Amino acid sequence: MKKRIVLVALLSLLICGFAFANGSSETQKPVKIAVVGPLTGDFAEYGMGFKNAAVLRAKQINEAGGVLGGRQIEIVDFDDKNSGEEAASIAERIAGNKDIVGVVGHFASGVSMAAAPTYEEVGVPEISPSASHPDYSGMGKYIFRNNSLIDVEANETLNIASKVFKAKRVAVLAVKTDWGVTTADILINTLAKDHPELEIVGYEEILDGLTDFSSTITKLRSYKPDTIIVCAMYNILGPFANQYKDIDSKINLIGFSNAYSEQLIKLAQEDGNGIALPAIFFHESPEAKVRSFVDNYKKDYNGKIPSSLTAQAYDSLGMFAQAIEEAGSADRKAIKEQLYKIEYDGVAGVTYFDEIGDAYKTFNWLMIEDGKFTLIDKSKL
Amino acid sequence: MILQQVFDGLTLGIVYALIAVGYSLVFGVLRLVNFAHGATYAFGAHIAMVVVVSTNFGLFWAIIISVIMTGLMTMFMDRIALRPLRAKKSKGISALITTIGCSYIIQNALMIVFGSRSKWFPKIFDYGNFQIGNVLVKSTQVGIITVSVVLLLLLTFIVQKTKIGLAMRAVQQNAKAASLMGIDVNRVISFTFFLGGASAAVAGSLISGYYQIVNPQMGFIAGLKAFSAAVLGGIGILHGAVFGGLVVGLAESFAAFYIGGGYRDAVAFIILIVVLIFRPNGLFGKKVIEKV
Repeated sequence: MKKRIVLVALLSLLICGFAFANGSSETQKPVKIAVVGPLTGDFAEYGMGFKNAAVLRAKQINEAGGVLGGRQIEIVDFDDKNSGEEAASIAERIAGNKDIVGVVGHFASGVSMAAAPTYEEVGVPEISPSASHPDYSGMGKYIFRNNSLIDVEANETLNIASKVFKAKRVAVLAVKTDWGVTTADILINTLAKDHPELEIVGYEEILDGLTDFSSTITKLRSYKPDTIIVCAMYNILGPFANQYKDIDSKINLIGFSNAYSEQLIKLAQEDGNGIALPAIFFHESPEAKVRSFVDNYKKDYNGKIPSSLTAQAYDSLGMFAQAIEEAGSADRKAIKEQLYKIEYDGVAGVTYFDEIGDAYKTFNWLMIEDGKFTLIDKSKL
Repeated sequence: MILQQVFDGLTLGIVYALIAVGYSLVFGVLRLVNFAHGATYAFGAHIAMVVVVSTNFGLFWAIIISVIMTGLMTMFMDRIALRPLRAKKSKGISALITTIGCSYIIQNALMIVFGSRSKWFPKIFDYGNFQIGNVLVKSTQVGIITVSVVLLLLLTFIVQKTKIGLAMRAVQQNAKAASLMGIDVNRVISFTFFLGGASAAVAGSLISGYYQIVNPQMGFIAGLKAFSAAVLGGIGILHGAVFGGLVVGLAESFAAFYIGGGYRDAVAFIILIVVLIFRPNGLFGKKVIEKV
């Protein structure tokens, strides 16, 4: 009998010891956050931006003492090649790894939406710094976007058309992806009604990855537009500007914030001058926190200038850190709850989420002048 | 508007013709579809880009250098990957798979060296635009058409009128007999690969100069379309490849204009399927009689 008591006591001590040891290692363990985006391929510019920004933000947080009293943030990166299939399998891997408490990423809306059901089902909070498809954030409670909704942004492109270019005849060109077609649809069928000062004269679609625009340009020119809104990224807007301005150098081109990238200027060269686009983040803003972000980013990534989406990725990681700190726990569910309450003052403006996980933000208007992005002064228009 | 589409389509078509001829040359001599041809085209464009951006030789010399480098690269590919297969008398399918493998090796090498994103390429023959009636003609297009036509004539001349061309045709008819007649078959094949690579390099440089953009994946769809152009005209027949290229270019241009940009790629292949149903050997193809 005595022996048994001693045994039980010893065993319980052992278990307690394990539990204790476990507990102490739990507090030392780094908090893992996944960053997913296209790290290779035509959209690598964006994916690498996500990764670089997240690594930079994590480094700063860790240098300032980490989260939850000393735990470090560790970035785990995945390459989804901007493909839905790839994204879905990465989502499974992330969901299965209990150490990963949140996801910054998936770049394109369609790709994010392929991964979102898995995150929602298992309960991993996902913040996409770029997805702007209207249906994305409604896909679940764990699904957030740290980007403006597409209808807000599309309306800004119409504002630029009428205020900056005094446009009368506007044509729309969309890349044939879910995002491109949906954006063009909202632009033409919903928002244009509120802009009686301009007329939508034509609409054309092009395949993603295409480099020959001659037929599309002939078709667009037959509508006699003075301004074209291009619902596509830099890989289309750049060469499109080259080829269109070759024929008609007076055309005004308007892009979206996802074309806001140094690559746009590299691809379009001098034909890029005059392209205008709305963007939440502007890298030459005089604000101190933006300056310090841009300087640190340039220092760490040999002189590269962060784009708007890169800034939103940087803020997305910051939001996770703040939510973990405020929730006092690195539990996936607790982080999700806290994200709905957060008010985050980041480099891309103050952000808070509404009840379905959409972020609200204000836009700057940018224009390429002499091979550089410059801010359009709205007060002078 | 129709004339404009015809002209734009012809520009595109003549370049497809140039790529298609490369398929036809190699197929004619070896009975082998060289699936690395699309990647070769991308390789040529990248070499021209890197020469023009990093030196001050100008575009003309950049293309010449690219032609030589690309030609040598395809010869090298044949030497190390395909010749051993021929020596071992392996089945045709092994060589075919090997070319697919080579295509990925070339494409990935380009991605590693140049990065995977699209890059700017200087405009070619840039002397402004002019209007003929309703048609807006770009000097770039005129330049592309001229160079391609000259090159196609040159290729035809080589195959039809020169000694090496005679050797190529001899190997095409019967490699063994040609070899018995004292023709160095491997040398002829190497030369054929060089011609194919060189024409792909010119096509790649011209197209990149036209669209002002290059990327390592550019060869995939262009290669597929040119291949379908070659099959459309009757693979192995040079004028068939040229005709096929023009048909594909025109079809694409019209489809983009009248049906919408989203369907342009499908149209080339629909035409291919329809033609093959009625003429299984292509438009200019002769029926091959299999002798046992």
